[in-house]
Amino acid sequence: MLDATTLQILTESAKYDVSCSSSGSKRANREGGLGNASVGGICHSFTPDGRCISLLKILMSNECLYDCEYCPNRRSADVKRARITPEDICNLTINFYKRNYIEGLFLSSAVFDSPNRTMELLTETVMRLRKVYNFNGYIHLKGIPYADETLVMKAARYVDRMSYNIELPSEKSLKLLAPQKTKDSLIQPMKKLQSALIYDKENKIKRDRVIPAGQTTQMIVGASPESDGHILRLTEYLYRNIGLKRVYYSSYIPVVKSDLLPSDPAGLLREHRLYQADWLIRFYGFDVNELCGEGENLDADYDPKCAWALKNMHLFPVEINKAPLEMLLRVPGIGARSAYKIVNARRFASLDFDNLAKMRIVLKRARHFITCKGKFYGSEANAARAQLLIDEKSSSDGGQENEQLSLFSTPSEALSALTGEL
Amino acid sequence: MNVFITDGTSEGFYTAVFNAYRKKDAVITSRRDMQLSFDTTAQNVETDADKALRVRTKLDKIDRFAAGDIDLALRSNDSLKEQAAFEYIKLLVEKGRPVRRMLSLPAVIEMTEIIHRVKGEIHNMKGFLRFMESDSGVMYAPYSPDNDITDLIAPHFKARMGAQKFVIHDIKRKKAALCDGKSWFMAEVGDAEIYLSEYEKAFEKLWKKYYASVNIKERPHEKQMKGYMPVRYWKFLPEKNNPSTD
Repeated sequence: MLDATTLQILTESAKYDVSCSSSGSKRANREGGLGNASVGGICHSFTPDGRCISLLKILMSNECLYDCEYCPNRRSADVKRARITPEDICNLTINFYKRNYIEGLFLSSAVFDSPNRTMELLTETVMRLRKVYNFNGYIHLKGIPYADETLVMKAARYVDRMSYNIELPSEKSLKLLAPQKTKDSLIQPMKKLQSALIYDKENKIKRDRVIPAGQTTQMIVGASPESDGHILRLTEYLYRNIGLKRVYYSSYIPVVKSDLLPSDPAGLLREHRLYQADWLIRFYGFDVNELCGEGENLDADYDPKCAWALKNMHLFPVEINKAPLEMLLRVPGIGARSAYKIVNARRFASLDFDNLAKMRIVLKRARHFITCKGKFYGSEANAARAQLLIDEKSSSDGGQENEQLSLFSTPSEALSALTGEL
Repeated sequence: MNVFITDGTSEGFYTAVFNAYRKKDAVITSRRDMQLSFDTTAQNVETDADKALRVRTKLDKIDRFAAGDIDLALRSNDSLKEQAAFEYIKLLVEKGRPVRRMLSLPAVIEMTEIIHRVKGEIHNMKGFLRFMESDSGVMYAPYSPDNDITDLIAPHFKARMGAQKFVIHDIKRKKAALCDGKSWFMAEVGDAEIYLSEYEKAFEKLWKKYYASVNIKERPHEKQMKGYMPVRYWKFLPEKNNPSTD
C-alpha cells in the first residue's frame, strides 16, 4: 500500500490546480463494476481554505523536466520528489471511492523522462482503472503538452474530462516564465480533443465516447502583467471558439522566489472579480466588451455587473413585472435563481416590493435598479452609488468571501441548486 | 383553534386533512409536545385508509406531482411541515390546478422552502456519507440526517456500488437501508456492532493525510468551509475527527 509521505508530497504538489468539479458526465455503472458519474457533480468534503474535495487530486510524479519559473516542482527547485505506480493509484482510488470519500480521480503529473513516457503511464493508469478494476466513477486527466496525439486520443476515450493548463495568459509571459511551453503546445491538443468530442456527439457514439464532460483550463492571475480585460478576452475565446466548459483562475501566491516573479500575492479580490465576470459571460448573456476594456482591469469597488449597471443607468430602473428575463438577469443583485422565481411568479400575480422580499429575493442592491408596479424604492444615482459601495465593502469582509461562486446555467438547475455542483 | 395530531405517517396526515378540511382554524401536526392555549381543542387523528385515499385521489386529479412534493415535505424535521402541506393542499383545491410556480403565494413559498431543505440534505449526504469496511466486506455508513431521507439516498448508492454489500444506518431514527449487492430494503435497526476490516484504519489514515495535504494554508476560509459543510455533520467524517497532525 501507498505510504503517507508519498501521498503527502504528491498531493501538496497537485493542490494548486483549482479545478474541483466532478460534473458534466453521466457515465453509468457497468455490470459488476464500481461507481458511476453524477451529472451535477458531488462535493465530498470541504477543507479549511473553503474549497471542496470532489476528486482525489494527485500527481503521478513531481519529478519534472521543465523549469517553469512559477512552479514549485520545477527542475531546479529543491523539493522532495516522489512517484507512484499506476497500480498504487488505482488501488487508492478504488478504496477511497468505496468509502464515499471521493467522486473519482483527478490525475496529473509533472513531465518525467519524456512527455510521451509520462502520457503513456497516465494512459495506462486510467485504462487499468476502467478495464481491470471496472471503475466507472469520474476521471479528470491532465494532458501533457508535446505528448503524442495518438496517446492523448487513446486516453481521452477512458476519461470524463481532460484539461491543458494555459497557466500564463499571454505568449510573451509563457516565453518568459515557462520557456518550454508554447501557446501551440497547449491550444492545438485542446482543439484536437474538441473536434473529436464533436465528432462523437454528432455521430451519436455512445460507448467509450471521448471526454463526455469536456475540457477545462486554468490561468494564474497576477504572476504576469496581463490585464483583466486581456484575460477575459482569452476566456471568451476559449468558451466560444474552443468550447471549453470552465476556465479556472488561480490567484498567484509566491511559493517560489524568483526575480522574474512578483513577491506579493495577487490577492483574492481580483480572482473573485474574474470569476464574477466569467459567470456573467457564460450565464448572463454579457459580452466581454460590456464588462471590461482590452487593457483595463475590473473595478475593485463594485462587482462587474454592478459596475456595468452604474455605467448604463439610462437602462434602469426596469419594471419587475414587465422586464424580459434577459434584462432581469442584468439587474445587480438578481441572480439566475431570483430571476427564475420572478418570471414564474409574475405570470400569476403582479408583484410588489413586499412580495419580492417574501420570496427571499435580495433587494439590497437590486432596489436601486427596479420598480415594482411602477414604484421605485431605491436612491437616485449618486446616493445609490455611495450606498452600493458601502454594501459591497461590508459584504466582502476584506476579501474573505472572495471565493468561487456557484451559480446555475438553467432555471431547472437553479431549482435543484446546490453549491459547487457545476 | 382545532388541533389534529397525527401519528406521523403520510396516511395519518391525509386522514387529518380529510377531518380538518372544513373545520375553522384547523391545525395539523405530528408533534405531541405542542403548546396548547386555553381555547384549543386537540384531538388524535385515527388513521383511516379510506379517508386518506379520498384525499389522495382528489389531490392527484388536480396535480399528479403534488403527492410527491408532499411526501418530500413530510420527511422534513420542520415542526410546521404538516401545516405547510395542509395549506398547500387547500391552495391546490382553491385554484383547481398546479400551483408550484405561483412563487409569490405564502403557502407555495413555505412548501418550496421545506422541500428545498430536504432535497438539499439528500444532495449533501450523497457527498458526506462515509462508509467503513467491515471484516465481512460489508460497507457500513452510520449517519444522523436532519430529515428522514435514508430510503431516498439508498438508490444513489445502489446505482454506484455495483455488487458491493452496504448498510446506510440512520442512528437517530433507528432505521437502515440494507443492500445485499442485488437489491436493497429498509429495516428497523437499533444498535449495530461493527468489526472493521484489517485495512480500514490504514485507508482512513491515508484519507486524513490527503485531507490535510490538499488544504492551502495561505488561503484560510473556515467560514466558507462551515457554510458548505455544517459542523453537525462532522461527527461522522473521519477527516474532521482526530485529524492528521504531521
